[in-house]
Amino acid sequence: MNNVQSNTDSSAPKPLLELNNINKTFRLGPADVRVLTGAGLTVYEGEFVALVGASGSGKSTLLHIAGALESADEGSVMFQGQDLSRMSRRSRHRLRNHSFGFVFQLYHLLPELSVLENVLLPAMVCAPWYKACIRARPGKRRALELLEQLGLKDRLRHRPSQLSGGERQRVAIARALINEPALVLADEPTGNLDPKTGQTILDVLRGLHKGSGQSILLVTHDVNIAAQADRVVTLRDGKIVDSTPSVS
Amino acid sequence: MYKIFLCFRYLTRKGIVLFPVLAVWLCVMMLIIVNSIMTGFVNRVRDAGRSLMGDVVIQSDSMAGFPYYRQIQKQLALLPQIKASTPVISGYGLFNLPEFQVNTGVQVMGVEADSESKVSSFGSSLFWQYKAPMQAVQDLRGVGFPASRKKLLAYAQKRLLAAAKVEHARQQAFADLKPVSSHAWFASIRQHWQVIAHEDYQQAVYKENRADRDLRMVQALPNRSFVNAAALRKAMVPLAPTFVPPPQAANRYMTASDEPKSGCVIGVDLGLYKRDRFGHYHRPPGVRFSPVIITMVPVTIKATLAQPQSRRFVIVDDSRTRVYAVDSKTVYIPFHVAQKMAFMQQQDLLDGGVRPGRCSEIQVLVRHDSSEVNILAARKAIAHVVHQLELLHPQMEIAGIRVRTWDQVQAEYIRAVDNERNMITFLLGLMSLVVVIVIFLIFYMLVRDKTRDIGIIKAIGGSEEGLGVIFILYGMLISSAGAILGLFTGVWFVRNDNWIHDHILWRIFGISIWNRKIYVFSKIPDQIDPHAVMWIVIFAILAGLLGALIPAIIAARQDPVEALRYE
Repeated sequence: MNNVQSNTDSSAPKPLLELNNINKTFRLGPADVRVLTGAGLTVYEGEFVALVGASGSGKSTLLHIAGALESADEGSVMFQGQDLSRMSRRSRHRLRNHSFGFVFQLYHLLPELSVLENVLLPAMVCAPWYKACIRARPGKRRALELLEQLGLKDRLRHRPSQLSGGERQRVAIARALINEPALVLADEPTGNLDPKTGQTILDVLRGLHKGSGQSILLVTHDVNIAAQADRVVTLRDGKIVDSTPSVS
Repeated sequence: MYKIFLCFRYLTRKGIVLFPVLAVWLCVMMLIIVNSIMTGFVNRVRDAGRSLMGDVVIQSDSMAGFPYYRQIQKQLALLPQIKASTPVISGYGLFNLPEFQVNTGVQVMGVEADSESKVSSFGSSLFWQYKAPMQAVQDLRGVGFPASRKKLLAYAQKRLLAAAKVEHARQQAFADLKPVSSHAWFASIRQHWQVIAHEDYQQAVYKENRADRDLRMVQALPNRSFVNAAALRKAMVPLAPTFVPPPQAANRYMTASDEPKSGCVIGVDLGLYKRDRFGHYHRPPGVRFSPVIITMVPVTIKATLAQPQSRRFVIVDDSRTRVYAVDSKTVYIPFHVAQKMAFMQQQDLLDGGVRPGRCSEIQVLVRHDSSEVNILAARKAIAHVVHQLELLHPQMEIAGIRVRTWDQVQAEYIRAVDNERNMITFLLGLMSLVVVIVIFLIFYMLVRDKTRDIGIIKAIGGSEEGLGVIFILYGMLISSAGAILGLFTGVWFVRNDNWIHDHILWRIFGISIWNRKIYVFSKIPDQIDPHAVMWIVIFAILAGLLGALIPAIIAARQDPVEALRYE
């Protein structure tokens, strides 16, 4: 096993997410492509981990498996001590809704909804139907706070198409944080932005981590961005080959 | 909660949803219109057929009729479920109107005007004795009741004057119509305008004639005050129809001996009146009170032809039953006259005996609500009465009397129309499957378009069931919106179909689908069947659900990661 894990001292924080010996193969036409071959990773509570690797190294796949969006062919995924593979479908949906916050490279906002509605959507997923009335929308106060914090207070009624790339990504971050998730999973959040805007987004994530101790697993191929995390984990040929604390 | 929210957002912010809404809307509207018009048509045919003959008919297979009809009637009067009955003589004859050089073969019906009008719609089918006075009461409603004869006269004169002015203006307008351009397109427009202007003029003439008729009826009123329209109607509409020529008929003849003693009623479509595009009959002066010669060929009880019998009659009225086959071929004469002409009257025999009078049929009206069950029960009771009398009088049995309900008599014709309605509704229903396919295709496109959204919703915790519900709810809302729009516009169209036909289709576009010259009914028959409309709306909503079902399943089964990667 090539898992390289950080120390397991009793005074160390508790592990939040544990990926053990993850294997994943995709079928592409007649050929089978082995993307992950025994990858293992642990993210601790309050930790900001950057997962780096070349394009096609399996970073995003590992992130999707970690976020219960995809299942592994082999290996186990433990989240807060619970094995994801043994969870019911309903529990996995609840986990994605309550415990994970996804931020994607292409923002993935719903174009028909306004900024505020996009941010509120995860809160609505878990709310009962009778709160459908706009005034009673759950999490509205938190959504407004988050959007104010992210400098989008004046953009509440705008549609995603009316925002810049950076603004869209900030909306996506606000959406990821609306249900106060235990772990934010960010898949190349700066990949589609210019360096200056990318840095702003990263500053937002770092601010969250520093301010409220938000656990973050960030996937990037940019070493400079990865360097701003607490720990950098390197994925190569489907395996974790290195895990070092960041120098920054 | 998010399901309803997203559903409404997709509904309100996606222009493409207008297409399935439009498809369902038009389909529901079309089905409601076609079903209502066909239902109206079938029911009018049924009602018209039924109103001709009452609820039950006692008929003989023999052209010579059957005897003891009075005894049958007496026995029927004792049955609690029977309201009225009337004997009828029916035979073939020739109709000759010498002044107009009309000679035609007709069906001669000998009826007792009074009792016939109790059983069938004969009384209310008469123009001069029922429809014209009813129209006059309708026209004079604006007078303001109570109204004296003087006030009514002044009002009727005012109406006639106004109608005459309109008629003059329309005549002028028709004469003044000048060509706009010699271009062929303008020429065809002008031709259409000319047709319309001439029609307007004809209508004005019709209204003037009607106002003139109203005035004459008011002149004939007794000199007293009428408290309301009902009192006026009572004074104007005779209590019972009659074949007796009114006193003014005498003016048509030089001497009293020239005037025929009996009156007759002609079918309105016998060919003496012209009918305009709007279904109005134009009665040329002179036809009423004209002398006619009717010839009947009697059949003896031994089924041999006897000497043809001719008689002179005076036309006292015309009848419109709305059944073209009847109105175009029938002449009504008094029962006792027809009985003599057909050799069916009571005869003294050489051996001192008496041959009882005969008739062709007895029409019976059932009391109460005349439901199918009641009518069938009454038919059974009548058949029993006839059977009892047959046992007493063997001559009756020879006549081969049959007791049938009105729909049994008309079964073939009504069933054909009924089948036609069911077939058209079924075919349109099949065509409506296209709507299911349209919804399916549009939803399939929508699901493909929303693939990435599906991934996002799953990433934030949305379940497969939740996604399925979004698209099914979406389909149901779209089909419901279309069905409700279709319901309202369909009902509106059916209620205004005649107006739309006359004022939009004909006047603006020159298209005439319903020509009253051809059809028996003067208006497009329409009758909204709430039961059928309810099923059409339910079917439309279910069609939307069906169309949305497969795309909803596709959406629910979408792999979230693949969906997020979808470009």
